[in-house]
Amino acid sequence: MIPTHWFLILSAILFTIGVCGVLTRKNGITIFMCIELMVNAVNLTFVAYARQFHQVHGLLFVFFVMAIAAAEAAVGLAIFISLFHQRHTIDVDEANLMRW
Amino acid sequence: MAQFVPFAVFFFFAAVAVIFAAAVVLHRNPVVGALSLVASFFALAVMYVLLEAPFLAALQVIVYAGAIMVLFLFVIMLLNLQHQEEPRTRPVQQFLGYTSSAAFGLALIYYLAKFGVTQLPDGPFVSDARTVGIKMFESYIFPFEMVSILLLAAIVGALLLSGRTGTSVLPAPSTATLDDQDTRPALHSEVESR
Repeated sequence: MIPTHWFLILSAILFTIGVCGVLTRKNGITIFMCIELMVNAVNLTFVAYARQFHQVHGLLFVFFVMAIAAAEAAVGLAIFISLFHQRHTIDVDEANLMRW
Repeated sequence: MAQFVPFAVFFFFAAVAVIFAAAVVLHRNPVVGALSLVASFFALAVMYVLLEAPFLAALQVIVYAGAIMVLFLFVIMLLNLQHQEEPRTRPVQQFLGYTSSAAFGLALIYYLAKFGVTQLPDGPFVSDARTVGIKMFESYIFPFEMVSILLLAAIVGALLLSGRTGTSVLPAPSTATLDDQDTRPALHSEVESR
């Protein structure tokens, strides 16, 4: 049996890679994919703790997180399509209308 | 000998997940990034199998790698982004981003390793579709219905935002309404230009 904290450390590494991508990239869709990566890292933590405590609740939370990530991806990508129609770029630095 | 097989599988697919996740961040072509993310999600599905949750592994492959990432790839192809050159990030932002995320990750791993739980309970963890479904429809029926309403709202929002009339929402922050005076001229001029 593989110890739980190995999965937690893998999840921490994946989450850190996602944070790094959100902080350093400019392409809106790439930033979005990094957010998906962070969501998946948290899902892995949920499943690891679900096995650790023999509780199904963690798996159900993963289910809900997947549904919410799907909704978020649909709306976010629609926003980027709309932004691309306006500005012909999805560089997030260009979309600074509501910045200060 | 047989008890080392799960460890070998774990390390192989953990390396796959981390390498492809790093490719998402480092590669400048978003198509390569999206396909790397699919590979990373497959490796995470293997992790779910190792964690005795095969139902969730199937969901991960079907919903994430199958549906959500296809949506991403579809949008990348639709906007023809694979040829667009992404401008370089400023060095200050790059340095701050890498150092702060590295510090965050090191702190996270340090405390996880320090306070790690090692004792697993006895017995197999039953997490097949039957157990999950019974729990879902007994204890979590209200959040389940809320999620269905949320998905419906997301469908309507996505249609409104990505439709042709929906584009007139963004450029007019002063009026910012979808009433007829805003949308009608835009529609007419569009039809006339065709």
